[in-house]
Amino acid sequence: MNVPSEHLLVVATILFSMGVLGFLIRRNLIVVLASVELMLNAANLSFLAGSRMHSTVGNVNLDGPVFAMFVILVAAAEAAVGLALVIALFRLKQSVGAEDTCELRG
Amino acid sequence: MAELLFYVLSAGAIACAAGVIASRSPLRSVLSLLGSFVCLAGIYLLAGFHFLAAAQLLVYAGAIMVLFLFVVMLLNLDRVAAEDERPGSALGARRLGVAFVASSVLVLTGLFSIGWDSASHADPALAGMQLDDLTSIAALLFSRYMLPFEAASLLLLGTMIAVVVLAKRDRGPDRAGAVERDPYTLAPRDVGENLDPGGPEVVVLEDEPEEVHIV
Repeated sequence: MNVPSEHLLVVATILFSMGVLGFLIRRNLIVVLASVELMLNAANLSFLAGSRMHSTVGNVNLDGPVFAMFVILVAAAEAAVGLALVIALFRLKQSVGAEDTCELRG
Repeated sequence: MAELLFYVLSAGAIACAAGVIASRSPLRSVLSLLGSFVCLAGIYLLAGFHFLAAAQLLVYAGAIMVLFLFVVMLLNLDRVAAEDERPGSALGARRLGVAFVASSVLVLTGLFSIGWDSASHADPALAGMQLDDLTSIAALLFSRYMLPFEAASLLLLGTMIAVVVLAKRDRGPDRAGAVERDPYTLAPRDVGENLDPGGPEVVVLEDEPEEVHIV
């Protein structure tokens, strides 16, 4: 593929801002977690685009793939903990809406 | 050909991301998230990151998606979500405006901060070759990224314990139907019959042992 790496960065930017938009406007906690996953994926894509941008044929930059692996790992941990929290919350309130969970509001 | 496929996959990923944040039912948005992950895996494959594409498919589209779908179906969220999303409230309009402004500022900042004029296009000779060689990645993980690697294992252990603690049902001592158990032998403790404490039986000899006469 002979696409300039900037186009990968553009795709990553759009995906990240869609994740931010979903995080801000949705009230279902499952969809909020899905938006966080979308943002992490966009970050992964920009890591890989940067790695591709700084690679030459003899000297391949591998920091981007390694960081992407760590991001995938952290995303898996975050999804597991977040969904366990959603299950605990649902058991308590019979709902997964973010606006039903406002005990900490002053 | 590969370039055209890249643009098609990018459009697919963005459309599926729009489906994630726009669809009313959580099940449909999780399935759109799956489509977005698959499109991104295709983009990784085209960009030369073959191992990362496989990891994306296995970990994201396999494991994390199964977790999401499992929770959505376990809690029967499609039924619950109908009354959870109330779009027409007064707070909703203001929050929607703020969110749109924030994300469009984010897009514009991102697009302007990409260095368009710097000649940082990828080397054309890189097209079609695999960039993430597994041997080199493993060597890097065990040399320069040793500490984050070990920290990641600790993170996974902590996550496992946290998930078990969070999702476990509470079993208090006053729960109805719980069987009270002996703390040492774990045998069910029955209150009525066996009142004497455990331990070795003490045999009380009542009559004298018979004398043995040697004839």
